[in-house]
Amino acid sequence: MRINAKDFWSGVLLLTLAAVGLWLNLDHTLGSARRMGPGYMPMLTFWLLLGLGAIVLGISFVSGSDPLEKWAKLDFVTLFVGIGVTLGAYPIIAAVPGLANNWYPLGIALMLGLGVMAVSPGWRKLALILAAMTVFGILLDQGGLMLALTALIIVSAFAEPKHRPLGVLGMIVFLLVLCWWVFIYELDIRVNVWPMF
Amino acid sequence: MDLLIANLVHGFGVALSLDNLLFALLGAFIGTAIGVLPGIGPVATISLLLPITFGQPATTAIIMLAGIYYGAQYGGSTTAILLNLPGEVSAVVTTLEGYKMARNGRAGAALAIAAIGSFFAGSVATILVAASGPLLTEVALSFGPADYFSLMLLGLIISAVLAQGSVVKSVGMVVFGVALGLVGTDVQTGQQRFTFGVPELSDGLNFAAIAMGVFGIAEIILNLERPEVREVLTTKVGSMFLTKEEWKRATPSVLRGTLIGSALGILPGGGASLASFGSYMMERKMSKGRNEFGTGAIEGVAGPEAANNAAAQTSFIPLLTLGIPSNAVMALMVGALIIQGIQPGPRMVEAQPDLFWGLICSMWLGNLMLLIINLPMIGMWVKLLQVPYKYMYPAILSFCAIGVYSINNNVFDVYQTVFFAILGYAFAKLKMEPAPLLVGFVLGPMMEEHLRRAMLLSRGDPIVFIERPISAVLLAIAALALGLMLLPALRKKKEAAMAG
Repeated sequence: MRINAKDFWSGVLLLTLAAVGLWLNLDHTLGSARRMGPGYMPMLTFWLLLGLGAIVLGISFVSGSDPLEKWAKLDFVTLFVGIGVTLGAYPIIAAVPGLANNWYPLGIALMLGLGVMAVSPGWRKLALILAAMTVFGILLDQGGLMLALTALIIVSAFAEPKHRPLGVLGMIVFLLVLCWWVFIYELDIRVNVWPMF
Repeated sequence: MDLLIANLVHGFGVALSLDNLLFALLGAFIGTAIGVLPGIGPVATISLLLPITFGQPATTAIIMLAGIYYGAQYGGSTTAILLNLPGEVSAVVTTLEGYKMARNGRAGAALAIAAIGSFFAGSVATILVAASGPLLTEVALSFGPADYFSLMLLGLIISAVLAQGSVVKSVGMVVFGVALGLVGTDVQTGQQRFTFGVPELSDGLNFAAIAMGVFGIAEIILNLERPEVREVLTTKVGSMFLTKEEWKRATPSVLRGTLIGSALGILPGGGASLASFGSYMMERKMSKGRNEFGTGAIEGVAGPEAANNAAAQTSFIPLLTLGIPSNAVMALMVGALIIQGIQPGPRMVEAQPDLFWGLICSMWLGNLMLLIINLPMIGMWVKLLQVPYKYMYPAILSFCAIGVYSINNNVFDVYQTVFFAILGYAFAKLKMEPAPLLVGFVLGPMMEEHLRRAMLLSRGDPIVFIERPISAVLLAIAALALGLMLLPALRKKKEAAMAG
C-alpha cells in the first residue's frame, strides 16, 4: 500500500506540536470553565490540534500516493549533524565570556548548523539564504548596518550559481546606497551604520 | 444619505492630503510592481513593508498597505496577458483567455478591458464599503462576547474550508496559528506562557517575523530551487481601443464580475483569487461568448479582472466593521493596526473616522491612479520583468532583515524569522497551506479573550453559544460549511475551481 507521505508527515508535525504543547501546558493553572486560567485555552487548542493531527495521519493511509521529494542520504546526514551541531554549540558558546549577550550564542550556533547543512546539495539554497539572514543578525550590532548588509548579500549570492563577482559587487554598492537612503536617511531607524570597536 | 455624503467629503479631505496621496501612489506603484513580478506576492510585500509604516500615522500606513493589495491585482493581469505568466494567484485565470487574446493581436484590448473593468469594479466596491460600513457597525455593536467568539470561529473555519488543498490540513493550520498566538503573557493573570524564559517572547511571537519567514523568505528559497522560466516578450501590445463589438461583449461580464467579486470578497476566507476563479466559472457558463472560450474570449478577461479587484476592496468590510480579517492580507492589516495602537473592531468607524473614511476614499483615488499607472506605462512594467531574479532576491532579503530588526531593534527577531522560514519551507514541502495559519495567529488571542468573557458571563455554561440567536446562526453556518466540504462531490468541485 502506498501512503500519502506528505499527509503522513503533516500529521506527525501537528501531533508532535500538540504533544509538546500539552506537556508544556502542565505548568499552567487550568482554572474552570467559568474562570479560565492561563492554561485553559492552550489545553483546548492543543487537544484540538492533537485530534486534527490524528485525522490527518489517518487520512494519509487512504488519500493516495503523494511522495516527498527525493532527498539523498547525504542530505539526511547533514540535516541531523546540523541540528546536533546547533544544539551542541549553543551552551558552549553561551559559556564563553563576552559572547553570552545579544543572542550571539543563538546566532553563531545557527550559523554553524546551517554551515553543515550547506555541504549537501539538497539543502544548499535553504541553508545559504538562512545563513545570510543569520550573519546579518550576528554582525549588525557591533559591525554596523553596512558591514552586516555586505555580508548578507555575499552569503546569499552563493545560493545562486549564476552570480558573477562583478555583478555581486555592483549589487552590494546599489543595495548599500538604497538601504542607507530608505532606512537611515528617510526612516531614521536606530541602528549603528558603521562598525564600532 | 446626507450623512454618507458628508462622511465621504470628510474622507476625501483626508485622502487628498499630500502625504496620504503620496503614500497611496507609492502603495499602488509598489503593488503594481510586485503584481507584475512573479515570485513575490502581496502577503510577503506587505509584511516586508510593515516595519516601514511604523513611523507614519495609522491612516497613512493603512492607505499605503491597501494600495499594495489592490495594486497587485492590476499588475498581476499585465504579465498574465502579455507573457502567459500569472504575477499573482488571482491572475491565473486571466492567462487562459488573456494570453490567447494577445496571440490574436488583441493584447492592447485585453489590457485595456482589464484595467477599465478593474477600475469600474473598484469604484462600485468602494461605494459598497462606504455604504455598508456604518450599517454593519451598528449590527456589530449589539454583539456580545459569545457572538464575537462564534463569528471568529466562523471566519477561521471558512478561511480553512476555502483554502487550497485538504480541508482537515487547513483546519490544522488554523489551530497551529492559534497555538502560536498563545505564546506570551496571559492578559488576565500576567503569567508567562510558552516563553521559555525569553523576555523577548513575553509580548508574543513577532507577527512580522512569522509573515516574512513563512511567506517571504521561504518563498525565495523555493523560487531559487525552481529553474527560472521567463519568456521574452514576443507579442506586440497593439491598439488599446476596444471595438464596438468588444465593448458590447465585455460590459455585462464586467457587471457580473463586479457583483460576484464584491460578494466573495466580503466572505470570510474569500478574497481576490477566489473571486477571479468564481467569475471565470460563471462567464464560461453564462456569457454570450462562451463558445469562444479557449480561443481568446474577452469575457474571460473582463469578468475575472473586475471580480478580483472588487473582492480586494470588499474584503476590507469585515476588517473595518467587525475587526475580523478574512484572509492573510487582512490579517496583516490587523497586525499593522494593532502595532499602531488601534484595536480593529466595530468602534473603529466612530473612533477613527479619518482612518475609515480616508481609507475608503483613497481606495477610489488609488484605483484612478492605477488606471494611469497601468495603461500608458505598460512598457515600463514589462521591462521590469527583464530584471533577473538573481538580482532581486538579495534585495528582498536585505529589506526583510533590516525591516524585521527595526521593529524592536533586536536581533532576536531576525533569528525568529530564520526559524519561521524553516517552518514555511517545511509547510511547502508537505503541501500545508500557510495562509490560514496567519489568520489563526491573529484571531487566536482575540478569541481567547471573548471566550473567557462569554464563559464568565454565562457562569461557565457553554449553552450560551447556542442560546444567543446571532451566535447560534453563525455556528450553524460554520458547521454547515465544514460539513459540506466533507461531501466528496463538493470537494471535487472545489478542487476543480481551484485548479482553474
